Amino acid sequence: MKTLPTRHRIVIYALMALVMIFFIGPILWFILLAFRHPSEAYTIPPQLFFQPTLESFEHTFVDPGNNRPQVFNSVIVSTGATLLSLPFAMSAAYALSRFALRGKDFIMNWYISLLIAPPIVFVIPYFILMSRIGWAGTYQAMILTLQTLAIPFSVWLLKSFMDEVPLDLEEAAWVDGATRWSAFFRIIIPLATPGIIVTSMFTFVFSWNNVLFPLILSKQSTTTLPVGTISFFASSGVYWNQIAATAVVAMLPPMLIFLVLGRYVVRGLTFGAVKG
Amino acid sequence: MQNRYSFKRRLPYLLLAPSIIILLALILYPLGFALRNSFWFWNLQTSAVPLYHSGLDNYRMVFQVTPFTEALKNTLLLAGLGTLAQFWLGMGVALLLHTHLRGLGFCRALLIMPTTLAPVVAGFLFRYLLEPKGGLLPWLLEGIGFPLPPQGILGYAGSALFAIGMVDTWQWTPFFAIVLYAGLLSISEEVKEAAQVDGASPWRMFWSITLPLLRPIAAFLVMIRFMQLFNSFDLVFVLTGGGPGASSRTLSFNLYREGLVNYNIGLTAAMTWLVVIIVTVIINLYIIFIFRKREW
Repeated sequence: MKTLPTRHRIVIYALMALVMIFFIGPILWFILLAFRHPSEAYTIPPQLFFQPTLESFEHTFVDPGNNRPQVFNSVIVSTGATLLSLPFAMSAAYALSRFALRGKDFIMNWYISLLIAPPIVFVIPYFILMSRIGWAGTYQAMILTLQTLAIPFSVWLLKSFMDEVPLDLEEAAWVDGATRWSAFFRIIIPLATPGIIVTSMFTFVFSWNNVLFPLILSKQSTTTLPVGTISFFASSGVYWNQIAATAVVAMLPPMLIFLVLGRYVVRGLTFGAVKG
Repeated sequence: MQNRYSFKRRLPYLLLAPSIIILLALILYPLGFALRNSFWFWNLQTSAVPLYHSGLDNYRMVFQVTPFTEALKNTLLLAGLGTLAQFWLGMGVALLLHTHLRGLGFCRALLIMPTTLAPVVAGFLFRYLLEPKGGLLPWLLEGIGFPLPPQGILGYAGSALFAIGMVDTWQWTPFFAIVLYAGLLSISEEVKEAAQVDGASPWRMFWSITLPLLRPIAAFLVMIRFMQLFNSFDLVFVLTGGGPGASSRTLSFNLYREGLVNYNIGLTAAMTWLVVIIVTVIINLYIIFIFRKREW
């Protein structure tokens, strides 16, 4: 590769600096808000330096602790949705990856159409169904209905990982007398474990960040953390510092998981379609 | 032997069955519920059950009572322009990253941050930044003499939808950048060198080689993002509440308003089916024109 002339390199670095300020700056500014004193949410002119305080976090997570149970709810709903989707998705992904099926394209397209269909279309009838069967506001109502997103996503992503496990290995096991069943558990599962972990992490993040389902299907005691931000947006006033404190805690797990995922980010965000 | 053979033939379908059954149950119930109730008058505030058969009234009322056509127009505008902006901005950033200068790898790792946020968090973030009195962005824009509407960018009918599109673009341009960058890496050096030997200019190379080779990835990204933008709810809910008037109302938000604010279940059911038909048409156009020849 040729080295670029200095003039070009300066232009590229300058543009990249602008890009980073534009995309990362707003997040940092919002994180600062969580550490500001409530009376200083807005100052004219805006101040970069100020005396930081943990007051907002204390209010939302310690003292009355409005948001503390929501962290727990978020963990339950996201973990539950992820664990429930795995057995369904693993068997489907194995079938799609390992067999010459008639209608495979159709099935794959069907899964993805669910994934990109407007969820609001399903959620309003769920709202009425759940009150009728006495599940209104329960964890299981959210965990079950989130499967409309979790299963199609996991099937796609897991299939892309299973496609990479060489068929030879499995066939060798069959020749040695292993049944398909035992070959699945002794060859496919161990070799696809990184893929299963990556898929679970993405499903967890998508469930964690989902607001529509908990907004409509939860009650106050079961609602999740991202929905918790909305409660500070009351008609009596907007509690910006508390919104920011809640949001900062809500954004941490997805950010950390994405950092850990590293090179798998491209693949996960494209449902396995782009290997990255 | 016969039995074992037929079991082997059925095995893949048996493996697919659990996921397909649970998903069918989860989508057929709402769709059936909506289909039935779209022909009934039912407001949840006055009755716990559908009241009377009302023929096609609900379908007519979707257009008369709710700003359905305006919401459809807003939704298509938001999805179309948003996807276009994100794709080209993302392509620009991807090309910057592809220069492989020192330090850009670190930038790429950080760049994904906006995409990891819950849309509702991104919404609040920009609602704070755009606050007319004391928000950072109005302060900066006024500082450089940029004219702003007195109601604020989110409170003005001419800019509310634009602001929603801008926030979504902020959130998802990094996604395009990082995936398109991965696509750029997959283009072989030989193809590029061959073109350079033939004396192609960088501009010509981008349009005749890079872009056509990125087409399969680009088509997939554009489809996903177009539909996700088409379904926009979270950002509308937090940023503008569909207002002012109905100037930033999307189809999803219109459904939410009728169904879970006005509790007009019959009318919402009729609207649900109109939206389902529109979405089915769009998805099938995609499958027919772009995915037909693709091997999964």
